[in-house]
Amino acid sequence: MRIKDFGVKFILFLVAQIIVWTYFNFSQFVMLTVLPAMILAVPARRGTIYTMVIAFITGFIVDFLAGGMLGLTSLALVAVAFVRIPVLRLAFGNELFSRGGSISTKNFGQMKMFVGLLLATFVFVLIYVWADGAGTRPFWFNAVKVVASLVASTLVSIPVVNFLSDNSK
Amino acid sequence: MSTGPSVRNILISAAIFVAMEIAALAILSKSSSLANIWINRASHRTMAAVWGSFENVRNIFSLSKQNEALLEQNIRLTDELQKYKDAEKISLEASSSAEVRGSSFRYIPATIVKFSTNTAHNHIILNKGSEDGVKPDCGIISADGVVGVVEAVGRHYSYGLTLMNTNISIGGRIKGKDYLAPVVWDGRTTNGAFVKDMPLHHVVAPGDTVVTSGFSTIFPPDVPIGIAGESTMVDGSVFNIKVTLFQDFSSLKYVSIVENLDKDEIQALEAEKEDGDEN
Repeated sequence: MRIKDFGVKFILFLVAQIIVWTYFNFSQFVMLTVLPAMILAVPARRGTIYTMVIAFITGFIVDFLAGGMLGLTSLALVAVAFVRIPVLRLAFGNELFSRGGSISTKNFGQMKMFVGLLLATFVFVLIYVWADGAGTRPFWFNAVKVVASLVASTLVSIPVVNFLSDNSK
Repeated sequence: MSTGPSVRNILISAAIFVAMEIAALAILSKSSSLANIWINRASHRTMAAVWGSFENVRNIFSLSKQNEALLEQNIRLTDELQKYKDAEKISLEASSSAEVRGSSFRYIPATIVKFSTNTAHNHIILNKGSEDGVKPDCGIISADGVVGVVEAVGRHYSYGLTLMNTNISIGGRIKGKDYLAPVVWDGRTTNGAFVKDMPLHHVVAPGDTVVTSGFSTIFPPDVPIGIAGESTMVDGSVFNIKVTLFQDFSSLKYVSIVENLDKDEIQALEAEKEDGDEN
């Protein structure tokens, strides 16, 4: 049941992300995304390959429905899925895997959650902005966009992960 | 208890990751012409770097062949240069109205098969023998300078004594001053020697170049030997001068055997004259 609940919540956030990217362009320097957080929140017992497949499909759907360049989100999100387990180990320690549970602020505290999300979001934003620019934008533009998007997306992602990992329902 | 992912799982994940990234890039290149150009450019750069690396590695393995080719070329050029020098000499001698012909040297490229540097009587074995035209008492030189003298010759190999041998003495000359004196090994280092028995009235400054005198039948004149260093007075009557050899014997692989084509005639003449004096 829990997986099913997670799946429903995952789809809800996927739809929310598509809406945000389609209708809300805050600034050319800020890209708001919760996709890395959604991948990070996939239960720890799920393997890397499973998560990479989810990430690829998720990215493809987002690009298709949000009118972006097909393949761009998949490119960045699969990388997040690939580094997901090392990031989880680094931020939350082996305790997470021995429990086989999900990450949440309640279980691991604000700081660990922030570090984990920061790392995952950084990987995503870095690849996304770099590939999106396709070598045409200056370095300073990409750097500003990476930093601004990283900060905004990480802060927004904390409640998203808590909601996705909330198993009390 | 979790023991962490196995290497096999990591490799499989990495392979799938690469496959998915390539798939994503392929989709991306189809969906945007700008991305297509960018990906193609990156791909070309990567391929150039990869093939460049392969080419570098291949070059390293073909260095031996290239060295041999360079050696052959070096010999050809030295031969050619010698012909010009001979022609110049003939021209100079002709201008003094004597009818003479130029002395000529022949160069045979060779590779060192065996080489000793750790005894007082070091020797060298070369991969050229009598079938290649090598004879005893031919000189051995390299691109850097004098190496030694051939002592014995087999059909396919020859045995030589190097300058790093206490029994070898090379006729040397201080370039630009025409002071003659024998050059012998210092007995210790792989690039050190002495010019011996230099008369006290001959001033040799540190930095002067020592070359072959050309007055023996073994080496052509002006083959570089080394650079003169400090002078030490011996028995109050002569100087011994330190020489740093151009040829460092610790890094030697290819040489040229040099044969004086007029040697037999010169030696026969010397022998005839000595016999005449004795009678």
